[in-house]
This record gives sequence, C-alpha cells and structure tokens, in this order.
Amino acid sequence: MRGTRSTPEGPAAMYAAASADGVLRDGDDRSRAGAPAPTGSDPATVAARARPRRRLVGWRGTGGSVLLYLFTLLCLATVVFLLPRTMPGDPLTALEDPGSGLFFADEQAREAVLAYYGLDRPLPVQYADYVTSVARGDLGWSISRNQPVSSLIAQHLPWTLLLMGAALLLSSVVSFLAGMAAAWRRGGLRDRVLVSSLTGAQAVPEYALAAVFLLLFGVAFPIFPLYGARTMFVEYGSWLAAAGDVLSHLALPLAALTISLLGAKFLLVRNSVLSALGAEYMVLARAKGLPERLLKYRHAGRNALLPFLTVLGIHAAFAVGGSIFVEAVFAYPGMGTLVLDAVQARDYPVLEAVFLTLAATVLTANLLIELLYARLDPRVGAE
Amino acid sequence: MSTAVDTRPRQRRAPFSGTAWVGVAIVGTVVAFAVSAPLLTPYRPTAPSGAPLAPPSGEHALGTNAVGQDVASQLLAGTQVSLLVAVIAGGGTLVIGAAVGMVAGWRGGRTDAVLMRVVDLLLAIPRLPLLIVVGAYVGPTLWTVAGIIALTSWPSGARVVRSQVLSLRRRTHLRAAIGFGAGTWHIVRRHIVAEVGLILVAGLVSAAGRAVMLEAGLSFLGLGDPTRTSWGGMIRDAIDFGGLLYTDAWSWWLLPPVLAIIVLLLGFTFAGLGLEETVNPALRRHQRHQAVPR
Amino acid sequence: MTPVLSVRGLRVTYPGPPQVHALDGVDLELQQGECLAVIGESGSGKSSLARAALGVLGDARSTGSIHLGDIDLTALDEEGWRAVRWRRVALVFQSSAALNPVLRVGSQVAEAVQVHWSARRGAAQARAEAVLARVGLTADMADRYPRELSGGERRLTLLAVALACDPEVLILDEPTAGLDPITRGRVLTMLGELRAEGRSLLLLTHDLDAVAAVADRTTVLYRGWVAERGPAALVLDEPRHPYTVGLLGARPTLATIKDLRPIRGDPPDPTVLAVGCPFMGRCTQSIDRCAAARPPEVTPDGEEDDGRLVGCIRGGVVPVVRACALRKSYSVQSRGLRRRRVDAVSDVSLEVREGEVVGLVGPNGAGKSTVGLMLLRLLEPDGGSIELEGRDLLAADGPALTAARRRAQMLFQDPTEALSPRLSVAVAVREPLDVQRIGEPAERAEAVRRALTDARLPTDAGFLQRRAHELSGGQLQRVALARALVLEPKLLVADEPLVGLDPSERAAALHLLKTLQVERGMAMVLVSHDLAVVLRVADRVVVLDGGRIVEQGTGTHLLLAAQHPVTRALLAASGRNDALSFNGGLVSTDGAPHTSEHKEEMRCAGTASPAS
Repeated sequence: MRGTRSTPEGPAAMYAAASADGVLRDGDDRSRAGAPAPTGSDPATVAARARPRRRLVGWRGTGGSVLLYLFTLLCLATVVFLLPRTMPGDPLTALEDPGSGLFFADEQAREAVLAYYGLDRPLPVQYADYVTSVARGDLGWSISRNQPVSSLIAQHLPWTLLLMGAALLLSSVVSFLAGMAAAWRRGGLRDRVLVSSLTGAQAVPEYALAAVFLLLFGVAFPIFPLYGARTMFVEYGSWLAAAGDVLSHLALPLAALTISLLGAKFLLVRNSVLSALGAEYMVLARAKGLPERLLKYRHAGRNALLPFLTVLGIHAAFAVGGSIFVEAVFAYPGMGTLVLDAVQARDYPVLEAVFLTLAATVLTANLLIELLYARLDPRVGAE
Repeated sequence: MSTAVDTRPRQRRAPFSGTAWVGVAIVGTVVAFAVSAPLLTPYRPTAPSGAPLAPPSGEHALGTNAVGQDVASQLLAGTQVSLLVAVIAGGGTLVIGAAVGMVAGWRGGRTDAVLMRVVDLLLAIPRLPLLIVVGAYVGPTLWTVAGIIALTSWPSGARVVRSQVLSLRRRTHLRAAIGFGAGTWHIVRRHIVAEVGLILVAGLVSAAGRAVMLEAGLSFLGLGDPTRTSWGGMIRDAIDFGGLLYTDAWSWWLLPPVLAIIVLLLGFTFAGLGLEETVNPALRRHQRHQAVPR
Repeated sequence: MTPVLSVRGLRVTYPGPPQVHALDGVDLELQQGECLAVIGESGSGKSSLARAALGVLGDARSTGSIHLGDIDLTALDEEGWRAVRWRRVALVFQSSAALNPVLRVGSQVAEAVQVHWSARRGAAQARAEAVLARVGLTADMADRYPRELSGGERRLTLLAVALACDPEVLILDEPTAGLDPITRGRVLTMLGELRAEGRSLLLLTHDLDAVAAVADRTTVLYRGWVAERGPAALVLDEPRHPYTVGLLGARPTLATIKDLRPIRGDPPDPTVLAVGCPFMGRCTQSIDRCAAARPPEVTPDGEEDDGRLVGCIRGGVVPVVRACALRKSYSVQSRGLRRRRVDAVSDVSLEVREGEVVGLVGPNGAGKSTVGLMLLRLLEPDGGSIELEGRDLLAADGPALTAARRRAQMLFQDPTEALSPRLSVAVAVREPLDVQRIGEPAERAEAVRRALTDARLPTDAGFLQRRAHELSGGQLQRVALARALVLEPKLLVADEPLVGLDPSERAAALHLLKTLQVERGMAMVLVSHDLAVVLRVADRVVVLDGGRIVEQGTGTHLLLAAQHPVTRALLAASGRNDALSFNGGLVSTDGAPHTSEHKEEMRCAGTASPAS
C-alpha cells in the first residue's frame, strides 16, 4: 500500500494537505531510495519485518530532526546577522546621515547602535561574537528601553505563549469536533452551516476580527476588558481570583485568534473524514456492528488525525503572526507589542531577538509534532 | 485486487461550479473599481477635503475620517494597492513555488527529499516576524513588501504542485507516453501542464488572497508602504483614534475597509474553492463519494 | 427445515446519476451447515448481495426480504442490526482496503470481540491472537499494521476479522481472487474446515475451481438475476444455462486442452434495467419470446427433480440435433458371388447441443462421414431417429424438409468437388438463397457479401466473378464455408474440412471456424481423423470404430484417461511426431522412454557459457 496524498483537499488547506505529503515520508520516497516495500515474502522483507519496527535514533530519526532544526535556527540567525550588514544602501551608513529616515538624532542612541553592531571589527569576528552571545542567551541591549533584551523577552514571551498555546489548543479541539460533525452528515444543515461560516471566517483577517470584537464588546456588550493582560495595580487574595482576571483579559484576544485558526483545520478534518468515509474499511467497520462512537473516532478520526497534525505545525507559525495582530488591537503585552514598539523606536536588537525567539518557539513546536506524528503513523519509522 | 470493472459511464469533469463564479465575480468587481478609481471620485485620498468625521453625504459617499480625508477615495485607492500586491505576490509565489514543486516532483529521489525538507523547514518559520525584521531594514515600499511576501509564501504552493506531479508521474498513461518515446518536454507540455494547470490557477488565487491579507496586516501594523493608502492603514488609523468608540464614526470609517478586505478575500476564497471542486469532483456536495460495489 | 439465510425477491438499486441496478429479483436459500456458492462475474451483483445481508448498502435502496433464520433483516433498525451483525452473520471482504491502515491488525480483530462480547482488553486480545492462529497466521502478526503484511496474509486477516465473534453464517466475497495457488489452497482448506465445524458458508466468487472444491450447491448470477442453480457438481459438469455453459467454456485450468472460448457480446450495462431475459443479447439460442418477460426457473429437460433449476424459457441449453440408434448398412460384393451386408453404422446415438462442438473421430472406415451425412439426412438411415431442433427430421418432407435444410449445413472435405466449377463465386454462394427463395435479389446480394466477409474473403466485383479453378484450395474452402453460412444455419457438419488444405492454410481455416462458431452461436460436428485438431476445438469427442461408438468424453478426459484401445491407438499415432507428453512421460509408440534434446541456454555476450 503506497501512501498517495495526491489531491489537495481545500483551498486554504492546500498547504495543509500538501504538507501532509512531506512529513508523511511515504513509501514512494523510500522505495526510490532503494528500500523494498514490504509486500513480498522474499528474505529481505521477512528479515526486515522481524526487526524491531522503529528506529528513533540515527540519520532518519529524532537525532536527525533535532539537528536539522538547530541548523535552521542557525541559518535564520545568520540571515538576521547579515541583513543590516549587506543591505544595498547600507542602512548603517544611513544611521550617520542626518537626511535618511534611519538617523538617530540622539548621539548616545547612535553610539549604542553602532556599538551593538560592532562595525569596527572584522566580519567573521562579529559573526562569531554574535553566535556565541545568542547561544549564551545574551540577546543584546535594548536601546529604547535601556535594559537587556533577554529580560524584555522574559517579560513578554509568557503572555504570547499563553495566547498562542491556548488558541492552538482550542482551535484544534473545536475544528476537529466540528469537522467530524460536518463530515458525518455531509450535506445536511449542520454541515452546510459549518462549512459556509468557517470558510467565511477564514477570509476574515485576525486584525479585522479583532477590530470587530473591539467594537462589539466595547460598544455593545462591555463584558470583557479591552486592553492589557490583567488589571494593573490590584492585589488578588487567591490565585484563583488572579487567574480569573487573567482569563477575562485573555478572552477577547483568544477568541479572535482562535476563530482565525479554525477555518483551515476544519476544512482539512472534514475532507479527511470524508475520504475516510468513502473507504472500504469504513464499510467493514460498520458491518462489524461497531457503535457510532467507535466508527467516528477510532476509525475515521484516526485517519484524519495524521494530516491534521501536520497542519498544526504550520498553524503554529501562522498563530505567531496572528497573535501579533491581535496583541496590537487589544494592547496585550506579549511579543507582538514588544516588536511593534521596537519598530517604532527602531530598536533593532529587540527586533532581531524577537524574531529569533519566535522562530525557535515555532520550530520546537514543529519538532514535537513531528515526533508525535512518527509515533502515530504506521508508515513512518518502519524500515 | 477488485474484480469489479467500473462500467459506469465516466463522469465528465464538471465545469466551474457556482462557487467559483461567485468568487470570480467578486474579484472582477473589485478590479473594476480599482481600474476606474480616478474616475469615481474627485478627491485625492490623502488630501483633507472636508470637515473631520463628517457622516456620509452627497459630497462624501462614505463620510470623512478624523483628518477630513474622504473615506471613499481612500477605499478606492486601497483597492489598487491590494490588487497590486495580490498580483505581484501571488504571481511570485506561484512561479517560484511551481518551479520548485515541479522539479521536486519530477526528479524525485534525493532532489525531492532535499527540496521538501527545505520547504518543511521554511514552512515552520513564522512569517510575520520575519517580514517585520526584513521590512524594518529594507524599507517598506509596495514592491518590496510584495516581493518579500512572495519569497516567504512559495513553500506551500511548492508542496501542492509537487504532490500533484508525483501522482501524475505514477500514472500509467505517462509511463505509456515514455514507452512510445516521448521526451520530458513533450510530457510536461501535453500531460502535466494540463493536469497541474488548474491546480496552479487555484493556487494562484489562494496565494493572491493570502498576500492581500498579509499586506493589509502589515499596513495595519504600520509597516506597509507609507506613500500608499491601504485598507490596513485605514483600519489602523481608525483604531488608533482614541474617541472612535464614542462616536458613530466607526460605522463609516472602520467598517468599510474591514468589509472590503473580507469581501475581497471571500472572492479569492470562493474562486479557489470552486477551482478545487472542478479539479477534484469528489469534493462537490452532490457527488456520490462511495464507489459502487458489484 | 428453516434455511439459515433466505433471500426473496431482492432488488438493489444504487441511486445515480446514473442509476445502477445491481440486483434484480434474486431468491436464495442457504441451509444449515452447507456451502452455497454464488457464481457471478463483475456486474452480477454479488457484492451487493453480501452487503445487503449485513445492512451496509450505504446509499442503495433495496426491496425484497432477507431472513436470517427467523429474523427479517430488512425490517431491522440500527439497534436490531447491532445484535445480528458479526455475531450471527459476518462478511469476509474481498479487498485489502477493508483493513484500516492506521490500526493494528490485532486490534481490528479484537474490537469486534470487545463490542459484541463485552470482553475486556486483555481477553479480547487473547481471542484475537487465537483467531489469527486459527486462520494460519502467527500470533505476533497481531501487532503489525496492514501494510506490513503480504497480500495473502491480508486476505487471511480479513477472514480472521470475520471469525472474531464466531458467527454461524459466514459470507465470503471472492476469497480466492488474486491469490497465488498455494495461498489459495490454504484458504480453500480452511473453508472446508469451517464447514466441518458446522458453519454455513455463502461463497461469492467467479473462481469455478473453488466452487468445485468446497461448494455443495451453487447459484449462478448474471446481471443481478439467477440464471441457474443446483448441486455444485452437477452444474459444473453439466451446465444447462447458456451462460453457465459459456462461463465454463471460458475458464482456463491446467487440464484444458481445448482453446478457451469466450462468450460473445459485451458484459451488460448495469444502468439499464433488462425487460426480458438479461442474457438474451449474448445468447445464441434466443427466440422472440425471450424478450417478453423474465424467464421463470424451470427444471431442465431430461433431468429428474434433484434441485436443479434453470432460468430459461427453453429449459436451458437446447439440443440442436438428437440422433438415436442410427443404423446404416450396405450390401457389398465380396469374394465370390456372395453379397453380404456390411454395417457401416450401428446403434449410434448422438446429441449436439446449442453452441457445442462435437468431434467425431475414428480410424478410416469407422463410419464418421456416414454419420455426418445421416445427421443432415443427406443419406437415409436404415433405422433410428433424428430430431433437428426438436422436429423429426426423418418424417419431414416437402416444405418441412426444405425448411429443415436451412437449419443445418455441411462443409465437405474436398472443396473442388463441393463447388461447381461452372458457377462464379457470387452465384455459388447465393445458390442456397435462390433455392430457398429467401429475400429479394438485392437482399440476397447483401447476404452473400456478408457471408463472404465472415469467411474473410474479398467482396469486390472481380472476386465475385471468379470461377473455381481460379481460386486456391484455401480460398475454395472458404467459399464453401461462405455458402454454408449464407443460410445462417444452427448446425454445421464439417467433414474433414482441413484435409484438402495446405498446412499453412489450415491454421487460418481452423481459427476461422472457431471464431464463427462463437460469433454465430453455431453448433458444429467436426469429423476428422486428426486428433490434435479436434482436441483443440471440441467440447466433446466421440470415438467411432467399426460403426459403433467405443468411447466418448471431453478432450481432456480422453487425453489423460482413455480406456479403449482404439482411442489409445489414435492418440499414440497422433502424438508420434510431437514430443507430446501424456501419461506423465515422454513415450514413443514402442514404449521406450524418449529423451528430449538438451537445449543450450542462451548465451549473452560477455558471459561465460553456462556449465552443462
């Protein structure tokens, strides 16, 4: 049985379905690389089947993946390093030029920037310094806030992780359940309503949605607070009350971000389940007299789970962008706010550090998903 | 191993569905607006031309904003920006993505594995922060914004094209063509482009939609081209205006650009959905999904 | 006794577009402990039958009833089904796609146990491993995923899945399709064991050997309708419905010497609901009444009531000619003045059925040609009776005889003798039409052209004007054939048709005869002393010696198990110049073993020659 994911399954899920192909590492790849597909009874296949099925270390396993991700991170850091130093028009000379938009009027600020970039030293030395300090956790000094960048990040990152994490989790659960419900009674009222509304929701950008929420809950139903992550200058008696406060501030940004992440996953789940429904194994499962619950989740759902996971990885990347927008609208003190302030202030060290941190976060999330996928997919890992 | 031969009459590939036509109609209307923008409004979008926060009237179809600029003209100017970005970024995404995808799908083996690993990794990179950083250094003009969007969006298109090409390669009719001596170029031209073509167009449409969304987002964050009026910028200006919620101005200042973005994106989405359905009839609502057993 | 599974008037339709009529009024009964084989090709509706029995028809609509013992399955709701499915009746799917690719094999077996027997995980797993072992798989396969198993192992897994809850009725959808012979043997053995355990098996297949191996009774389905049913051995040995006859004629087995003979026409279109007999379009013996209504199931002619039924208004395959106890003797002058009677033919009875080819063989002077001539009443028999298409040939005269002459024709040995040298091709071929006064001149000319085309001859004016002496032997024989065909006879008696031809022309002539026979549905009596030719074409072979039938049977039977010395002599003589192997060894006529020449293996450039 060769895994063929040949047809794309939905417009915004194009990337989703397509990516399913990649992480799937289907039999096609391996057979071209020389490994036999296990269908025959020749000695090689029999021997292969006798061996333990998974090999998680080695070139193709976990170790390889971790190395690759680290390598990617290094590449990104290098790109960030090279950007200001190689741009045409050299923004760094523009720093000194009163006429350009990059000019710092403040002498001290200019000095700090120049010192940050270390332009007086040769390039390779700069690079080495850069890489070692990043690896150490020293991300530079913020010009506008006058503190180490890493401490800024430590203040802002947790809020973004909370927002992103909750949004990914919530959107995953809701979209999976909704996709299953829609596909199960395809063409029915529930299906049509879900498909149209969630497809439409996909077309609404996060900031527009956030703006709508702002209006709705600002003007019409002032239930939730509109700004910040918690009420300032208030001491809470119990951690429960504190948590409640955080949650109420989280509500609107979370809602906006979650809705924006629903559409693609929903469509993917729905289409995967539809494919599963048409498959012969569903007929057998039904003929076995299995209850509906088992049919839905164990048989159809399990098959839909694998492509779903790959979308999740991509959505982690999207969620970062989305959270920046949402934080901007609701003044939520996460990395988004940090980066936007830094852009205004032209605080380059902060900008670069934010990018690297977010990239590292998403890459880690993807790595974890890849590992989870390898455990779940019977096609991956069997040599 | 089924012994059943499908003797049902083959269903012809269905023509564009209603969804696609709706989408195309929407996008077409927006294009029409963009092209005829100068004709439709006497005001320049950036020049204050009336009292601030004036409600819609005969003079100003959508009222004015806090600075007295005509909202309607700004909206029309925004259509031009959005469509320009859609075309450049969407086209760029498509060209690069299709090229990479075809190479990976056709060559297979090591080339494919390496390319797809690269694509996987690129997909895991958060796009907006990267855009922000690069934009901060490079300077935001419309072209650079569109170009950077294209450079960061092509991986998804590459995936789709590659999987389509892969499945085509395995199909026997291609092997038969090779069997009677067809060269690569002939095969690409006669078989692959036809099959992949539709997917590419659907991909172009989706990529265009995403590009519009991203550009508006960048402008919203203040990172877009400052010399152009964009819908995202309008939204930002509206939200930044402190007293927005206390007046009714949000209904003619904030709402129109929000709706405009939503409508245009819906247009792209429907067009893309419709094209998907044309290529893959199994997705159509009334199609029988189960094969008939004998 | 209540049958354990009983189907009445089952109709299954899949909504379109286009609508597909899978089953069109099927009745079936499966008795306790028996194996009923439903024979059908694709489009016959067998899979729909299987799914209907388990209530998983999906979108399809069904009418009619299915009873499992006393329970009416068509009246069940989902709750009711849950008590029946898998516990009392289970289906072994055909395709490996029925195994969920992301679940382990063992769990797919075990989940049925968990659901139906409320077993805990461990107990269910143990049961799963036991069932897997039962079907011949090892217990450690329970941990595997379907893709890690070979095709045969997956098939056995599907069997294990079905057996999980120990159902009393097991339905198997093509259990042997696509399997290599060894695995097939395993599966068949297992089916036998399952039956011995007291289960009732419903076997849906087109593998006739499997049917022969395990089935008690069989029902033949064609286009969603029952063509024939009866005890399996009888139906397979002596099929009565034209479709079954064709099916058996088209099936390759190791023992087949005879060429495969396809059924003419195309498989039916399942989107069209047939009004009359669904097989009519391809049947060679259809009459107008066949189109009127669905044929009822009747007991075939000449059978005692042993449960055989055939769905044909004509009662199954009809005999074209039946000759009983034919006798012919001549008086010859022997030495001296004494005349004595020589029996050329004594007590020969022969029946040729619709679409059948009967070979009439024997040494020279055995009376083969005499019999052939008598069958067409070109020679009056001294005794016996002949029925041609049910009508007494010997009693017919005048117009009845003329009419009878249309239905049977002869192809003579020597075409130069058979055709008048004075007539042109066109006239010669047209002669029968002229004699019988069939059609207008224009129609006759058209019929001539058709006959010539069928005989693979040109139809241009130049050829039509040729005379006999301008044609080659092969062409002449074909003209004679065209002449015989122009009346569209039901029976063709071919008397040594290849003898007058050059060796290179013989293959073409034989091929032509076979093709025409299938296309036109002609029965043929092939008289010849060349056994090799007869064996390739004939369904049955009758061996004559001294005017009597000494042996008869299928070609295979004669080749491998001939009893009569004359038959053996004929075989030996025919095989002398071929390195034909029969009786298991290479034998020459004097009994000494015959070694074949050692053939060198092919040499490839650059490789050493293989060691001998």
